[in-house]
Amino acid sequence: MSDHERWQEDIPAYALGALEPERAEELERHLASCERCRRDVRWLTPAVAALAEAVPPRQPPPRLRERLLDEVRPEPREASARMRWRPLVAGVAVLAVLAVGFLGYKVGSGGSKAGATYTGSGHGVLAELVCAGSGAELTLAHVHQLPPGGVLEAWVQREGRVEPVKGLFVPDREGNATTAIADMSGVDLVMVTREPRGGTSAPSGEPLVSVPISD
Amino acid sequence: MPVRREKAERLADEELMPLIGARDPEAFAVLYDRHGGAAYSLAYRIVGEPGMAEDVTQEAFISLWRSGARYDRARGSVRSWMLSIVRNRAIDALRAGGGRAPKLTFDDEALLEQRPAGELTEEEAIRRETADQLRGVIGQLPDDQSKVIELAYFGGFSQAEIARMLGVPLGTVKGRMRLGLEKIRGKLAEGLA
Repeated sequence: MSDHERWQEDIPAYALGALEPERAEELERHLASCERCRRDVRWLTPAVAALAEAVPPRQPPPRLRERLLDEVRPEPREASARMRWRPLVAGVAVLAVLAVGFLGYKVGSGGSKAGATYTGSGHGVLAELVCAGSGAELTLAHVHQLPPGGVLEAWVQREGRVEPVKGLFVPDREGNATTAIADMSGVDLVMVTREPRGGTSAPSGEPLVSVPISD
Repeated sequence: MPVRREKAERLADEELMPLIGARDPEAFAVLYDRHGGAAYSLAYRIVGEPGMAEDVTQEAFISLWRSGARYDRARGSVRSWMLSIVRNRAIDALRAGGGRAPKLTFDDEALLEQRPAGELTEEEAIRRETADQLRGVIGQLPDDQSKVIELAYFGGFSQAEIARMLGVPLGTVKGRMRLGLEKIRGKLAEGLA
């Protein structure tokens, strides 16, 4: 079997989003130079799109539309509304604010005060921490895809003691990941590690990226 | 200056995207009204829980709001792009929560929160009819083919994981995926006849 035939075997899984991330990256490099395989992907893509269209219809709750429009309209949003959101989307609540430019913020100074911004990097990952109220939003960029079942877990260090931040998170397809830190009081370092599904109570390895909080 | 709602409603999805890229909330609202239901339905199908489906849909639309300017029409329709974002977010949410898709069949009509036919717009009615036809096509696949496709697309499992779960060689999984997708694709090419 030729290399080309082996790639063709993987194209259905690629179209379904079921190819391991490393293999998918290799296939994408092959696609860049292989019109025959690109044609195969284009041929199968509508079949995958049909799966999404074939699901039983459900009506989203009206409050979802209201929340989204509150988020994108320029009027100031109520802080209390954000507090009602579930942890999964707590980070999303401020994405519109962050959208003014992930890397465009000036690094803040003077401790973890509301509005202060801190940055860090490691293993090719860029981290930005924006303090808001008593907490902060942590956003990562250029995160490599995790192995199946893997998650990101954030940690804070207070007076030398490391504590987990509730809420595990994963990068999106573009390698961006966001999580919220509820309490930044006394924190001098924020870290992120790769952990197995479900997370751990103590970091199991070296931090992927760290963000020092300077006074 | 934001476009008026009436004007935005007359624009095609592809014409709304540059407006969304320029942070036009009315264009965004129209896009949500067109595709929010499909997005939520897909999210629910994958995560199997209303609250999480709502969160996933919200995340996906906010992501679109942030990245609207990056939409490339050469890669497909806005709707299919949107649904691919929803699918990926839903799978990510499942992985983060340590869960997996609770349902692996299309036979859950009894659970639907269906609106009476009289309340459907013409476009919704056409989409619903198409969805019915698509479910029929997928329902005709042999079980071994539909199972690997559903585990991959709705469960977020890799082809190697599926091979281990089903206790079959990896090559068998690849072959079943290919056969199943080719059958669906063939029916689409025939106009779902």
